[in-house]
Amino acid sequence: MSPKTETAPESLAPRVLRAGMPLLLLAVLLLLPLGDIGANRTKVLFLTFVWICASVAWNILGGFAGQASFGFAVFYGLGAYTSAVAINGGINPYLTYALAAAVATLASLFIGLPTFRLRGPYFAIATIGVSEAVRVIMTNLGFTGGASGYRITEHVPFRQTEHYYTGLALAALAVAASILIRRSRFGLGLRAIRDDQEAAADSGVNPYASKLAAHAVAAALTGVAGGVYARYAAFISPDGVFAFQRSVSILLMPIIGGVNTIWGPVLGGGVYGVVEEELSARFPEFHLLLYGVLVILIILFEPGGLMGLLGRLRRLILRRRVGAWQPS
Amino acid sequence: MTFTDYLNLLISAVLLAGTYAAVAVGMTVIYGVMKIVNLAHAGFLMLGAYFVYEVHERAGLHPLLGVALAFPAFYLLGMAVHWALGRGIPVSDEPTLASLLLMFGLWLVLQNLGYLVWGTSDRAILTPMTFATLRYGEITIPKIGLVVFVSAVVSLVALEFVLHKTWFGRSVRALIQNRYACRIVGVHVQRTARMTFGLGIAFAGTAGGLLALLFPFSPDFGRPFLLRSFVIIVLGGLESFSGVFLGALILALVETFSILAIPSSYQPAISFSLLVVALIVLPGGVAGILARKRRLA
Repeated sequence: MSPKTETAPESLAPRVLRAGMPLLLLAVLLLLPLGDIGANRTKVLFLTFVWICASVAWNILGGFAGQASFGFAVFYGLGAYTSAVAINGGINPYLTYALAAAVATLASLFIGLPTFRLRGPYFAIATIGVSEAVRVIMTNLGFTGGASGYRITEHVPFRQTEHYYTGLALAALAVAASILIRRSRFGLGLRAIRDDQEAAADSGVNPYASKLAAHAVAAALTGVAGGVYARYAAFISPDGVFAFQRSVSILLMPIIGGVNTIWGPVLGGGVYGVVEEELSARFPEFHLLLYGVLVILIILFEPGGLMGLLGRLRRLILRRRVGAWQPS
Repeated sequence: MTFTDYLNLLISAVLLAGTYAAVAVGMTVIYGVMKIVNLAHAGFLMLGAYFVYEVHERAGLHPLLGVALAFPAFYLLGMAVHWALGRGIPVSDEPTLASLLLMFGLWLVLQNLGYLVWGTSDRAILTPMTFATLRYGEITIPKIGLVVFVSAVVSLVALEFVLHKTWFGRSVRALIQNRYACRIVGVHVQRTARMTFGLGIAFAGTAGGLLALLFPFSPDFGRPFLLRSFVIIVLGGLESFSGVFLGALILALVETFSILAIPSSYQPAISFSLLVVALIVLPGGVAGILARKRRLA
């Protein structure tokens, strides 16, 4: 556990609650398909799990290490295409996810090696360029069908519950990775880099290697998310998985939920996954406008996002309760 | 390919470079003074294009007059945005995540307002000039390209004049060098920052208007030019104005002559490749190399 400067020692109850809540949530989600929740709701939940994984992955680099990327669609798309091609090649779907992670990791090194060496905005800038370039190349690439997309043919019956559990496992894996990183020495180094790169370097953190590693982990998770999505969708196209819009969504979720926290990106991904399903169908252009306004408001007034708001609310309630006890 | 073909390509590259310089310079000004990567640059480019379009279609004014009007209009717009976002865009020493995301949010807002107002279809500004060419024997020069080039160069020369001959310009250059020293010698940092932001947006709007004379546009118009602007200012060394010219020229030359070797569908990947090459080979930009030479000499 990283050293924290919390003053009051916590009593047992909140700690149990804090550890128990996620497990309870996980249990509920595990049991949910046993009850009949309908194909559509299962689909929304599955997509939300995929979103959450990408959101948590983005936060490992963008939140913990403070390196905003506008190009996570590259990893998502590469993961999706890798899995798709491999599944069509007859490889076990679950093995293809490992391939997807490997390809995405390679891509992350390709972007990170030249850009992380420099300080300043180079990385963020380059990511916009990469996503654009990769999309163009994929649109013109012959063996994946180019702009017209790529179809996955699996000779097994479609079982939605299997996809549901894959998605859930994926999201849980991402959250677990996020928690482990946050609590590790590596995660502490990332936060030091975020706060002050020079001071971090002076205390023995290698900023270059740490950023590369965080980028690689985030890319691998996002790549697997892409692969899982591709197998579910059975059809992918460059304008879908490599769209700039996709990068934007992956960036929006952790910001809305609260960057640099464990549960913020999960919350953001959950809210986004469900809201997106409702909004994007009804107001195709309007919803991005809304997200833009939301980002501006969050940055200006509550950089902690939804988690920050919740914290504020909690403090407000606690203060009132404490105030009632105090005589005066 | 004959010699004149190469010459024609060269001419179109130089004409393009002038426009690119005008597109990128607004971003350089804002980055130099505030260390903010203005991702909303793309949105303002797009707005500039539609501004000139509307002025041309509704008021019946000549598009070039529209471009001239865009400058003051976008200057005021930029100042208003700076005022509205206030504490979100401080003058800082290095780009912060918050300012980056803030400008990104602004871009999303502008782009999707564009979609709401003008829809998704492409527009174009057509004038009698659009398809006219000047011919000198084998050499052809597109008239509109020449006009846009001249306008861009005039605006850039005006900027150079302002930066070197006025107190505002001196404050801007001083702020680029050292924010703290500026305070000591009495530069009003906040006011200069606001005017600089206005200036940057004014250049974005004007350049967007100029681009609209050359290319058809939609609300997503700015994105490819956003990336080009990055490439140009990275090539130019981020904070140098002369670097912008060099960067623009390099990008325009590479883009134009790459048609000979690379299929045109891969064109959008070129600016990124150039960016990576620039980052690996010359992180200080072209201007950085020149500065090093000067120091050695």
